[in-house]
Amino acid sequence: MKRDRLLLILYLTAVVAATLVHEPSSLAAALVVLLLLAGHDATRLLRRSLRVILVFNLAVSLGYVLLAWLRGISPWETLLLINLRVLLLTLLTFLFISRVNLFRALDFSPTLSWLLALAYSQALGFQRAHAEFRLALASRCLERPRLIDRYRASAAAAAWFMDRALATARESALALRARGFFDA
Amino acid sequence: MLELTGITHRYDGCLALVDINLRVNSGEKVVLLGANGSGKSTLLKIIAGLITPNGGLYRYKDEAIDARRLKDRALSRRFRREVALLFQNPDAMLFNPTVYDEIAFGPRQLALADVDARVRHWAGVMGLTDKLQQLPFSLSGGEKQKLALAALLAVGPELLLLDEPVSALDPRTTGWLIDFLAELPITVITTTHNLSLAPELGSRALVLSEEHRLLHDGPIEPFLADADKLRAANLVHSHRHRHGALEHRHDHVHDWD
Repeated sequence: MKRDRLLLILYLTAVVAATLVHEPSSLAAALVVLLLLAGHDATRLLRRSLRVILVFNLAVSLGYVLLAWLRGISPWETLLLINLRVLLLTLLTFLFISRVNLFRALDFSPTLSWLLALAYSQALGFQRAHAEFRLALASRCLERPRLIDRYRASAAAAAWFMDRALATARESALALRARGFFDA
Repeated sequence: MLELTGITHRYDGCLALVDINLRVNSGEKVVLLGANGSGKSTLLKIIAGLITPNGGLYRYKDEAIDARRLKDRALSRRFRREVALLFQNPDAMLFNPTVYDEIAFGPRQLALADVDARVRHWAGVMGLTDKLQQLPFSLSGGEKQKLALAALLAVGPELLLLDEPVSALDPRTTGWLIDFLAELPITVITTTHNLSLAPELGSRALVLSEEHRLLHDGPIEPFLADADKLRAANLVHSHRHRHGALEHRHDHVHDWD
């Protein structure tokens, strides 16, 4: 219990520190330390982190390269800094989640535990729904789905998730209100 | 038409199906019964070739079906055309910009010459003709279910798998669907936990126990008359009734949706 809470504090401190460091070499060193701490899981966590940030970082990096080119400045140092920081924070989060029981880390606060349980149940529900949407698309496609069909299916799924998230949030808020969560 | 031999499946260490053995012949109307979490949906997804079981063999028209074999383009194309699955949540299946495009999606993939005729025919059958240019997203729950069904039937499947098709329908649409399925001249496997409707959906019952095993495979009427099996499958419950000073207890069917 104490261990989980201590790791939560360390994690939050590390997140703040990573956003305050502006030296790419320091961030790279921190990344190496994290990979060493991850041990056997290092390759799996690194691959997972890279997969998660790939599209976002690529879009931001390309946008920044374009802006730097228009302004006539060199983009490389900033690009290295941004990408290293995002990778470091993502890897740190994955490592934290794989090592710490969040429920035990937050058990000092009934409110935070309650919110975590709500968020966790929503995430599980969406994970199941996401798998369902993926299988439904596969079942309707006689061949490998075309890119346009993938986009349309993703857009329809996103709209459904938004709708559901909104409805669930309203329900949860009402349930919390009924149990006195918002009472002073 | 299809045969499952020793099918076993687990998700992340949790058992979903254990040693399932069954055959379904062409033209049969089969009802798949079981309590929540007994593995009904997983079994349908295995039959639809969307999940490859951890153990056992699945054969469709004497051809083994699994993820590796479905990489064969010709087999996959034929299988996906012939086997259609209606998901419990029709929203998962609808992603085209209009109702028309949704029904036309399958026939267009097959490059059929009569796409328009098929769309109009199935839209007519489902009562969606005046909604062809609407967004599928904007339809009611029952209409989405009908649209998803129309989209599947427009391809001309030989095996239709329905996952809890009446769970979100109003009584009128439920009645319409039961009549419609009775007239459909193809093999249909329907999952439900609604015992009142089960005999209307098929004459043969496959029942999954809470231990994820096949508890019953045979005519539905004897199963519905067997209180021990119904209790074992967690398809009935009993509770106390008070009538003044008199108190008694008897079984009830689970007809919640």
